[in-house]
Amino acid sequence: MTAAIPHLRLALAAGICVTGLAVYALTWTPIGLLAPVAGLGLLAGPRGGAMLVAGLGLAALVAALAGLHTGGELVGAPAGHWCIFFVTALCVGLAVMAAGLPPPRSHAGAGGRDPGERPAAALAAARAFRTCVPRGLRHRLSAAEGGDQRAGIRSDPGCPAGTEGEALAPKGNIGAGGSDEPAENPEVVRAARVVEALFGNAWALAPDGRWICPPRFAGTGPGLSPHDLNASLAEGEVAWHKLVHPEEYERVALRWRHSLRTGEPWKDQFRIRRASGSYAWARSTAHPLRDAGGRILGWYGTSVDIDVYRKTMENLLAREREISHLVDMVPGHLCRLAPDGTPLFFNRRMAEFHGLEASEAQIPGLPPLEGFLRSLVHPDDVGPMLQVLSQCMEAGGGFSWRYRLRRADGVYRWVAGRAEPTRDEEGRVLEWFGVCTDIEDQMQAEQALRSSERLHRRIVETLPAMIYCAEPDGRPIYRSRRLSAFLGLTLGEGGDPLTGPERLGATLEEIIHPDDLDEVRARYARSLATGEPYAMRHRLRRHDGTWLWVETRAEAMRDAGGNIAQWYGVCFDIEDLLRGQENLRTAQDSLARAARAASLAELSASIAHEVNQPLAAIVANSHACYRWLTAEPPNLERAKITAGRITRDANSAAEVVSRIRALFSQAGQARERLSLAGVIAEARDVMAGEALRRGVRIVLALEEGLPPVSLDRVQVQQVLVNLMSNGMEAMAGGDAEQVLEVRLTRADGTGLRAEVRDHGPGLASTERIFQPFVSTKDRGMGMGLAICRSIVEAHGGRLWAENACPRGARFIFTLPLDAKATE
Amino acid sequence: MSTDEHMVYIVDDDPRIREALCELVASHGMQVTAFGSAGAYMAAQKPGAPACLVLDIELPDINGLDLQGLIAGGEHPPIVFITGHGDIPSTVRAIRHGAVDLLTKPFGDTELMAAIRTALAQDRARLAERAGLEALRLRYAALTPRERQVLPLVVSGLLNKQAAAELGISETTLQIHRRHVMRKLAAPSLADLVRIAERLEIPLTHSRHGERQ
Repeated sequence: MTAAIPHLRLALAAGICVTGLAVYALTWTPIGLLAPVAGLGLLAGPRGGAMLVAGLGLAALVAALAGLHTGGELVGAPAGHWCIFFVTALCVGLAVMAAGLPPPRSHAGAGGRDPGERPAAALAAARAFRTCVPRGLRHRLSAAEGGDQRAGIRSDPGCPAGTEGEALAPKGNIGAGGSDEPAENPEVVRAARVVEALFGNAWALAPDGRWICPPRFAGTGPGLSPHDLNASLAEGEVAWHKLVHPEEYERVALRWRHSLRTGEPWKDQFRIRRASGSYAWARSTAHPLRDAGGRILGWYGTSVDIDVYRKTMENLLAREREISHLVDMVPGHLCRLAPDGTPLFFNRRMAEFHGLEASEAQIPGLPPLEGFLRSLVHPDDVGPMLQVLSQCMEAGGGFSWRYRLRRADGVYRWVAGRAEPTRDEEGRVLEWFGVCTDIEDQMQAEQALRSSERLHRRIVETLPAMIYCAEPDGRPIYRSRRLSAFLGLTLGEGGDPLTGPERLGATLEEIIHPDDLDEVRARYARSLATGEPYAMRHRLRRHDGTWLWVETRAEAMRDAGGNIAQWYGVCFDIEDLLRGQENLRTAQDSLARAARAASLAELSASIAHEVNQPLAAIVANSHACYRWLTAEPPNLERAKITAGRITRDANSAAEVVSRIRALFSQAGQARERLSLAGVIAEARDVMAGEALRRGVRIVLALEEGLPPVSLDRVQVQQVLVNLMSNGMEAMAGGDAEQVLEVRLTRADGTGLRAEVRDHGPGLASTERIFQPFVSTKDRGMGMGLAICRSIVEAHGGRLWAENACPRGARFIFTLPLDAKATE
Repeated sequence: MSTDEHMVYIVDDDPRIREALCELVASHGMQVTAFGSAGAYMAAQKPGAPACLVLDIELPDINGLDLQGLIAGGEHPPIVFITGHGDIPSTVRAIRHGAVDLLTKPFGDTELMAAIRTALAQDRARLAERAGLEALRLRYAALTPRERQVLPLVVSGLLNKQAAAELGISETTLQIHRRHVMRKLAAPSLADLVRIAERLEIPLTHSRHGERQ
C-alpha cells in the first residue's frame, strides 16, 4: 500500500506534464505550460518545492522588471504576458504542493495490539526495562484477518545486574530543559509527554522533521539545543545528525527520511550520543500523530536504552561461538546420544570423519544403538561392542573400548572410545556424551612393537642354544623354552627353586655335576662381583637325570652409568662336540692302525713276490728235471743242469727270508729307552676300537716300577698289536669269555716279560706257527708271527707260545734290560 | 706234434723263470725262444710257423695285459699269461681278450703244457685257414671279368635263364661261363661254389623274388 503511493504520484505528474505539453503544442498558448509546473510541484519534496516556488517567483519578478523597463506599461507587452504567466504558474505550483496526496494510513504505530490492552502492556514493558526484573505479559494480538490471538511476551534482562550502563538521560519532565515550547504542535508534545510518563526518554518532532521536543539526553550537552539540532536540517542532514553514531548515521538517515516522506512509523536500533558525549545502544521508535483528516501533525517517539542487553547478547554469542569452536576443533570425536543410543549430535570432526551427520548415522529397521554402531563401526567389532555398550547403558556406567571406525573413504581406523552419562537429580540418564580418539598410529606402533617382540622371542626360542637372563645378583628372570625343557624347570612355577637368591647355591648343586660344582661356583661368584664375562664347560643335569656336557657363557649388559643391568647367558650342549672329538681320536687311531696294517700287507706282498719267483722257478725246473730223467733215453746232462738250478733257486728263496730278518734288525738307530708298560698301554689304545667291535675286554696287569728298556717303539708296538689281534681273532665265534689279558712282569733273568693271553681254542703246534708261510687263518699270509719273532729277536729277546690251561694260548716275549741288538 | 714246425715264445723279466720255463718246454721237445721284455719280443724276427706266446703280466717295460691290447689288431700267436699273484679282474680281462689261459706261479708242467698245446693248435688252425683263403684268392684272380660277373648271379640262386637275361647274354653262353668258373675255383658242385664265394666274401647281389621268401 505504501509503495503504491509514489508510483501513483509519478504517474499523475507524468500525465499532467504530457497533457500540458499537448495543449501547448495544439493551441500555441503558454497555458499548456502550466501543467508541467503543476506536475513538478506534485513530484517535488519540501526542498524541491521551495526551489520551484523560488524559481517561479524570480522569473515573474524578472519578467515584470523587464516589462517596466522596456515599455513602461505592463499590460499588453510580451514581458507583461510572461510576468502574468509566471505568477499564475507560481499560484498553481503552490496550490498543488499545498494539496499534496495524503498517505492513507491510520494508527500504524500502535503495533496491532488491541487498543484496550495497550496501556497495560506499555506499563509492564516500561517497568521491566527499569527494574531489570523479567516480566511476563500476555495479551491479545489483533491479527490482520480479524480475530484475536493470545500471545506471550517474556522479557529478560540481558546482562548481570552489576553491569548497568549509564542512563541515556537524567530523570525529569519532558520539555523542562527545552528552550522554546512550540505552540503550533500541542498534540505532538502531549503525546510525547504521555510516552515520557510511561517509558521516559520521549521526544517529538514536527512533520518536516524538525525537533519540537528534543530528547532530554541531548539537551544537556553544550550546543545541542533544538535549534542546534535543527541546524543540521539546513545542512541537508536530518535532525538526528548530531545524536547518531557516525557509523550508523547513513542507515538511520535513510530510513528516517523514508518515514517522514511516507508517514510510516519509524523503528531503528543505533547508538545514541549520551549527555556525556559517549554513545549507548538504544532502540528508537517514532510514530506520526495525525489529525482527523489524516494529516500528520508531528512525530513522537522514545529511545529505550538497550546497551546492556546488546552487550550481553554479544557476549553470549561470542561465548557460544567460542564453545562451538572448541567442540569442533577439539582433536577428537565428540557425540551426544539419547539414553536409547540414538545419536543426537556429532562434532564437526566426527561428522567429517564419517561423512555423516548425527541424524544420518542410523540404519532403518534396527534398534537405534545397533543402527548407530553398524553404520560406523567395523563389522568385527560391532558384536562385542554392542554387548558391552548395552550393558553400560543398562547399568548406566561409563564405557571404554577400542574399536575400528569407518572413515568416509571406507578405511577403518582404530579409535579409543569413552562414554559417560549425564543424569538428572533422580539419577536417570539424560544423555550420553562420548568421545573417541584416533589411535591408529598408536595401534600400529603397538602392533609393530608386538611383532618385533614376537620376532625376537622367536629368534631366542629358535636359536639352537639355551638362553637365559639373570638379575645382577645372579637370580634368573628368564629362561628360553629349550633351557626350561632341558632342566625340566620353568621359571615362576611353584616348584622352581631358582626364584630366590638365597637358594641359588642349592640349585647349582642340583643341576651341576658335583665334580664341576666348586669351579662353577667360584667363577660365577667372580663374574657377578667383577662383571667379567663368564665362560665355563661343565656337566649339566638334564630333566631325566642324565649329565650332559655344556658350555655356558654369560655377558653383563651395563646401563648408561656402567652398572650391570642384566646378565645374558647362553648355554650350548657340547655333548655331541665332545663325543665327536672322541670319535675323531678313535678314527685317527684306527687310521694309524690301518696304515700299519697296510704297510704290513705291502710288506707281505713284496715278500710273497720275492719268494714266489724262486719257488716258481724251482717248480718248473724240477718238472723239467723229471722229464729229462724219464725221457727215453734219459738226458742226464740236461737233468744235471736243471737240478743245479733247483738248488740255486731254493737258496735264493732262503736268502729272501734272511733279508727280511735283516730288514727288522737293522733299525737299531730308531731305538730309545722307553717304559714297556707305556708301549703296551698305547697298543691297548690302538686296539680299543677293535676290541669294542668284537666285544672283547682287554685286561692289563702291568707291574709298576719297571725300568725302561731300549726298544724300537713302532716295531714293538707292531708285535703287541699283532699278538693282540691274533688273540682276538682266535676268540672270535667262541663261547668262552671274551677276555684278552696282557701282563708285564719282571723276567727271571735281567729282562721284562710280556704275555698276551687269549681264551681261544689254543694252538695245535706252538712252534710251527712261527715258520714263514704257515698260517692257521684262512686268509693269513703266514708271515705275521715270523716277522714278530724276527723283531723280538732283533731286540735281543725271545718270543714263544704256550697253550694255557684250561684253554687258550699264551704268547710270551722277553726283552733284555740291557738291550743289545743281536741277530 | 713235436714233428711239426712250431715255436714257443716266452717273455719274462726274471731270468730264473725264463731259464726254467725254456728248460721245461724244451724237455717236452718243443722249440722255444725267450725274451726279457715286451720290447725285445716285438723287435724279434718271427717265422710264419704256428706259435704260442707265454707272457708274464708283470713286465718292466709294459704290463702284459696292455701288450695284449696293443697287438690285438694284427696277427699274433695265442697268448698264455703267467703271473706272480693273479687276481680275478686281470684274469677276466685276459680271457675276454682272447688269452688261452692265465696261470699263477708257481704252476705245474701239466697246466702249462696243456695251455701251450691248445695255443699252438689254435694258431695252426688259424694259419691253415689263412693259407686256404690265400689259395682261393689266387684262383679268383684267374677269373675273367665276365666270369666274375657271372659268379655272384649264380651263387645268389638265380636260374641260368634269369642270370643270362640279367647280363644280356644267351643261356648257353652263361652255362659255359659257369662251367669255367666252377672249374677255375675247383668247386665240384654248386654248393661248394656257394661256400667258396662266402669265404671270399662275395656279396649276394640278386635274389629270386617271391620264390625264396
